[in-house]
Amino acid sequence: MTDLRHYDVIVSPSITEKSTLVAEQNQVVFNVAKGATKPEIKAAVEALFGVKVTAVNTLLRKGKTKRFRGIAGRQRDVKKAIVTLAEGQSIDVSTGL
Amino acid sequence: MQVIETLSEGLKRELKVVIPAKDMEAQMNERLADAKDRVRINGFRPGKVPVAHLKKMYGKSIMAELVNEIVRERPTAILTERGEKSATQPEVSMTEDQDEAEKILSAQADFEFTLSYEVIPSFELKSVDGIKVTREVVEIAEDEVTEQIKRIAESARSYEPKKGKAAEGDRVTMDYLGKVDGVPFDGGKDEDAQLVLGSGRFIPGFEEQLVGLKAGDEKVITVTFPADYPATNLAGKEATFDITVKEVAAPGEVEINDELASKLGVESAEKLKEIVRGQIEGQYGSVTRQKLKRQILDQLDGLYQFETPSRLVDAEFDNIWRQINTDLAQSGKTFEDEDTTEEKAREEYRKLAERRVRLGLVLSEIGEKAGIEVSEDEMQRALYDQLRQFPGQEKEIIEFFRKTPGAAASLRAPIFEEKVVDHLLSQIDVTDKVVSKEELMADDEDEASETKSEKKAAPKKKAAKAEAAAEGEEAPAPKKKAAPKKKASEESAE
Repeated sequence: MTDLRHYDVIVSPSITEKSTLVAEQNQVVFNVAKGATKPEIKAAVEALFGVKVTAVNTLLRKGKTKRFRGIAGRQRDVKKAIVTLAEGQSIDVSTGL
Repeated sequence: MQVIETLSEGLKRELKVVIPAKDMEAQMNERLADAKDRVRINGFRPGKVPVAHLKKMYGKSIMAELVNEIVRERPTAILTERGEKSATQPEVSMTEDQDEAEKILSAQADFEFTLSYEVIPSFELKSVDGIKVTREVVEIAEDEVTEQIKRIAESARSYEPKKGKAAEGDRVTMDYLGKVDGVPFDGGKDEDAQLVLGSGRFIPGFEEQLVGLKAGDEKVITVTFPADYPATNLAGKEATFDITVKEVAAPGEVEINDELASKLGVESAEKLKEIVRGQIEGQYGSVTRQKLKRQILDQLDGLYQFETPSRLVDAEFDNIWRQINTDLAQSGKTFEDEDTTEEKAREEYRKLAERRVRLGLVLSEIGEKAGIEVSEDEMQRALYDQLRQFPGQEKEIIEFFRKTPGAAASLRAPIFEEKVVDHLLSQIDVTDKVVSKEELMADDEDEASETKSEKKAAPKKKAAKAEAAAEGEEAPAPKKKAAPKKKASEESAE
């Protein structure tokens, strides 16, 4: 049984035009928990998908401010992690865990 | 695509169809490419979704769609290619195994299915020159017309008030109040009620006691309700009726003259006679036609002998059997009452079903060759005929015909059949023979009971007989509350 914490780190795969583009460089994009660190993400991906991770890049996309009925609100921030896998390894993101 | 014949026995055919996984995949990819520009998926601009991604998401459902389509369309295509006509919808069977199906859907295994069906036997249309029928025509006697008019006139009889005592046949106008044990009961009271003595409309004993009364008389009569009187609270009871006679009227003479005619809404007596004669002719005409048709069918039956698709026969047999059973249940009879056992009856009706199917095939073939078609107009007319039989339910019936695809066919079938028979009549040898009314009718009954596999007799004439009723009900109409009762009609095998 893998550590349950890993499931909290990885929120979901990010399936977008850009993420399919980077997939060609053997990179996978995940939405991760806002407080997750690179080492945590690396550990989680390695444990959950059984692959070797060579690098993790992260970014924090700030939520947009949106108005709903004249009241200003803010969408939540999203942290994304672009995980580079070791050569020859892959993750099928569309099938789920 | 590969088609392998695995069974060919009599009319039965079984085909195995194999579509290679490669072909399936190629078709799927085509569809995906087609869908690519149309789908909208979050995270992708329209038209920018990679095909690989699409395939992952929708591959299975597209494949399932493909399989469905193939199963729906291929059988007909295959059959046309082979130049065969299936009697019924071909039966398609695919693998039941879940894993296998999964593999097919992911285009890893070849898609296989088997088609089993029965072909419509091909037969040569034989010349109809050999068919000879006799048209039995009835000369309508003057007496008969007069009699019929008299009967009509009875209902329109006029009464003249008279002073004297009421006699049999007179019309009495009265008030009455009925009591059981001195207490008035429901429905036992009426004012200005008109009663023709001797008509038997009231309970026995009532009318007899009115004989001899005059206008203005009052009388108390005692009658006993019959034990089988419909109102159970009165059945078998003794009741008294207080009667006040208001008027006694004698019947006027019934005479066939212009006056009577005008009363019936016709200009002259001559015209009335003509109309009545027409009606009688129509009645005999339909019997004559039924008999003609039966002769034709009998001879066709003798002419054509070939194997019939057992599935069609089964369907027809089920129809008949259901009808018979409901008829028996309704009349509370068993097969023993009809002097037969269930097995025997089954066998008999099987033969009947086979004959019907065979004749149906022959008729439809003849019709097709002769280019007989049922026009939209005729369909409309038939529909209105049906509507007229069920007043007040028009909407439901129209709805029924619109919604049930088989229903329209069941309307078309009898019309088509009639037209084919008309067509045949114009080609074959018809000899006219004058017969008496009794001969025409009696013969009909005889034949019906003689040859049980007989069909097409005037349905009403032998309604008493269970099998006869079944013969009348031949259309493969889906049984339903509003499903119209069909006159004798051959199932047209299409």
